[in-house]
Amino acid sequence: MRFSFLLSAAALALLLVAGASLRGQLRDEPVTSGPLELGRAGEPAPPADGAVARAGRSPRNASYDIEVRLDHDARTLEGRQTIHWRNIDAAPVSDLQFHLYWNAWRDRDSTWLRERRLVPGYTLPEDGWSAIEITSLRIRQPEGDWADVLDRLRFIAPDDGNQADRTVAAVPLDSPIGSGLTLEIEIAWTATIPRPFARTGYIDDYYFIAQWFPKLGVFEDGAWNVHQFHTATEFYADFGVYDVAITVPDGFVVGASGQQVERVEHDDATTTHRYRGEDIHDFAWTASPRLLDLTRRFEHPALPAVEMRLLLQPEHEDQADRYFAITEATLARYGEWFGAYPYGYLTIVDPAFQSGSGGMEYPTLFTGGTRWLAPADVQQPESVTAHEAGHQWWHGMVASNEAEHAWIDEGFNTFATARVLDEAFPQSRRGLRLFGGFVPWVLRDVPLTRIDHDRLASYRLNAEADEPWTPTYRYWPATAGAITYDKTALWLHTLERHLGWPVLQRILATFFERWQFRHPTPGDFFDVVTEVTGQNYFWFFDEVYRSSNTFDYGVEALRSETDGDDAHRTTVVVRRHGEARFPVEVVTTFEDGEQVREAWDGLDRRVIYEYTRDARALSVQVDPDRVLLLDVDYTNNSRTLEPRAEEAARKWSLTWMVWLQDLMLTYGFFL
Amino acid sequence: MVLRCWRDGWRRVLAAPAVVVGVLVLTCVLAMPLALLLRGEIAARLGDSLAADAMADGVAYTWWEEFLAGTTSLGGTFTPAVVGFAATLGNLSDLLDGRAPAAPLVWALGLYLVAWTFLAGGILDRYARQRPTRAHGFFAACGVFFFRFLRLAVVAGVVYWWLFAFVHPWLFDGLFDDLTRDLSVERTAFFWRVALYAVFGALLVAANVVFDYTKVRLVVEDRHSVVGALVAALRFVRRHPARVAGLYALNALVFLAVLAVWALAAPGVTGSGAAMWLAFFGSQAYIVVRLLLKLQFLASQTALFQANLAHASFVRAPAPVWPESPAAETIGG
Repeated sequence: MRFSFLLSAAALALLLVAGASLRGQLRDEPVTSGPLELGRAGEPAPPADGAVARAGRSPRNASYDIEVRLDHDARTLEGRQTIHWRNIDAAPVSDLQFHLYWNAWRDRDSTWLRERRLVPGYTLPEDGWSAIEITSLRIRQPEGDWADVLDRLRFIAPDDGNQADRTVAAVPLDSPIGSGLTLEIEIAWTATIPRPFARTGYIDDYYFIAQWFPKLGVFEDGAWNVHQFHTATEFYADFGVYDVAITVPDGFVVGASGQQVERVEHDDATTTHRYRGEDIHDFAWTASPRLLDLTRRFEHPALPAVEMRLLLQPEHEDQADRYFAITEATLARYGEWFGAYPYGYLTIVDPAFQSGSGGMEYPTLFTGGTRWLAPADVQQPESVTAHEAGHQWWHGMVASNEAEHAWIDEGFNTFATARVLDEAFPQSRRGLRLFGGFVPWVLRDVPLTRIDHDRLASYRLNAEADEPWTPTYRYWPATAGAITYDKTALWLHTLERHLGWPVLQRILATFFERWQFRHPTPGDFFDVVTEVTGQNYFWFFDEVYRSSNTFDYGVEALRSETDGDDAHRTTVVVRRHGEARFPVEVVTTFEDGEQVREAWDGLDRRVIYEYTRDARALSVQVDPDRVLLLDVDYTNNSRTLEPRAEEAARKWSLTWMVWLQDLMLTYGFFL
Repeated sequence: MVLRCWRDGWRRVLAAPAVVVGVLVLTCVLAMPLALLLRGEIAARLGDSLAADAMADGVAYTWWEEFLAGTTSLGGTFTPAVVGFAATLGNLSDLLDGRAPAAPLVWALGLYLVAWTFLAGGILDRYARQRPTRAHGFFAACGVFFFRFLRLAVVAGVVYWWLFAFVHPWLFDGLFDDLTRDLSVERTAFFWRVALYAVFGALLVAANVVFDYTKVRLVVEDRHSVVGALVAALRFVRRHPARVAGLYALNALVFLAVLAVWALAAPGVTGSGAAMWLAFFGSQAYIVVRLLLKLQFLASQTALFQANLAHASFVRAPAPVWPESPAAETIGG
């Protein structure tokens, strides 16, 4: 009786605990971990799988438990990981495919370096190469035993057939794994840390470790979506729970994706820092003994609080406020516009000089970037910090495929970054970096506008480089950024001006709400546009997404002549120079102040407008409000009968002449 | 002695305002044709557009970028870095970083250097004699010394070319990269950079000082051998290192002070009316000060050299009389 009572009580307690745990997971609250335990080794939480894992924000179908040890002297990592992977596709899977990104810098023949070498000015490093070797690979299929499958591992090159590339490995399974079933994969590996390559590596005693562990691709639509590491693309992975124990020499400050849940000091002068992140699809970390560790809390009346942790280089100590301020501005604006940042914590890493790790996003952690001398009115570190913080939304949560559709996250984020900067830091000025790039100089008379943050100039130079629908890894490496970042930001800004911000904001918020913690495709976004606007905008996406056509509208002629009756006959000819089409307005202004506004569908090559008025025409403008920001030549969009070009040219040529005289005097040193 | 020569230099420069006017006219005459070309290009690109209004009244950076995207040669030098003090700083930065001037400017700079090479003889002769030589005497002296200075320019050109083609890359591409390769602190790398600028600057200044005193000795002692004058200049510098360095440092300090004032006073972007002309003439005042300083280097070094001779106005050759100079005869005949 007594025994059965105890048994019943224990069972009831277990049920209550499990129920409470499940309710906690189901509530969409920020992840909160227990207090930091120093010097006491604790058992890691059980891997998030099964019923509890499925209750997270994401499918949590690719969870990683990793133990990694940094050998500071040898510049190596030694890791052991267990992956809990669940097949969430309808089709069965018969093999596993892994990314081994660090093999991209194993030798000059990798696909990454073959492509990188196509970029003008790139110089191959002489040393500091990296590699990752799997030393043990075991798989346990559902209800099966562990099987050693290392000898079945082979490298594949699904994109270009490059036999020298070792960034993707595949291993066949004994039997196909059906939908909903879970595999356990245990991998031991060693890796040589590179000198900085693609934002990962070491410099001096600073480490930034990204894309560092064997990582599964995404199994979707009955096949693995795994691409080799390309120079113009980034990453794509499933969501999961990451529980990572990082062992580094004593005294190293460690920052990582997720939140620190434990720190254990060992007798061998090392310390293990354990981090846990839920509903994330990647994990990066940094370690250095010299990082300043600062925290600040983001609070907002309508958004969840966020503990911001800034790991700052000591030489940038005076810029801590700038880092925090722009991160807060981004958390607030993106939160208000798109949806809340739900994690409750965010780590900002200020990268070391020459680390090459600046300006990169990882879930709940990102790297900013600044200089020792950084004037307040030049937006460094603000610009890069806003952008990378913004990636928590566009890619961190809305996890589009960066290897195939990088424009989704990069373009959306570039657009939104420009919007944040325009609102939060309107006093931005053009800056120069002189004397080897070390000395800044602010051109206080040259303010930057939001269009400059959209990067119209770099788009214009490469407007026809690629059609955005092309998988990103096939973009031309030297110009990929102009299409991925700039063109997308410009057409989104064009949509904003065309539809109005409230409509575009609703589109983006709907897209975010619907696709956070999932993998959207371009079509999913286009569908949301149609749904929210109630109109078919495929004509627009045909131009900006499915073609590389450029937009260029202009004024071909403006004549305003008296017809002998004190009236003036005004003739306006406007022209479409580019192949791409967009509706624009044409505004003719007369001497008496009257303005006539015409709506042109922009389809024909040219349109003629004729007016008879008492007043002579003064000027005509196509797209006077500059709605169409993709117009590659805006100078030809206007014409006036009272031109001031000579006046302007005189002023600027005099300014330039003084510059030339100064140059002559500088060379006069040699006389 | 140094201070006295420095003051004496200024006295000699200010006593010959025509020289200052002359070199100012020279910079204007050489810069103006290119400025007119650029003016034409800007005007053509603005055309009848309303963008001209924004560029006339202030600055339209988006238009500027559009202009830069569509230009190839001279227009490519019309960047925001031409505005205000950025122009001065940018030019110094380019020089110290060994960045060659844009191709369309090379001939103008070459012409400027040749013109100065021609004028330098007359200028030094005027400062050495410390009395008006009139235009005919001035240009006669220019003619007398032109070919000697041209030979010296070849020697100087070789030395400077060696410094920029070999020493500069060795210092800034090789040594700097080696010194900073493993640095993770920018401040330290910056200090290395400054140190290397100091080393490279010292080499440039050393060469500059020797070539300056070579010119002085060519004129004051009426030397015909450039090599002889070069050796004599080296001897002079070696015998009076403190005075030579002190005088150079004093002039360099004035140069830095001028830059500091210009950094505060340089006009930015103006409108296209009276403010534009005010900015332009204000900038010309700065150009004049820079030219005065350039002349002061020559005059004070001449004064220092002469101060170490028997008397301060010693010039070995009689004043050349037009048209008896070989150059004038060549031109005339």
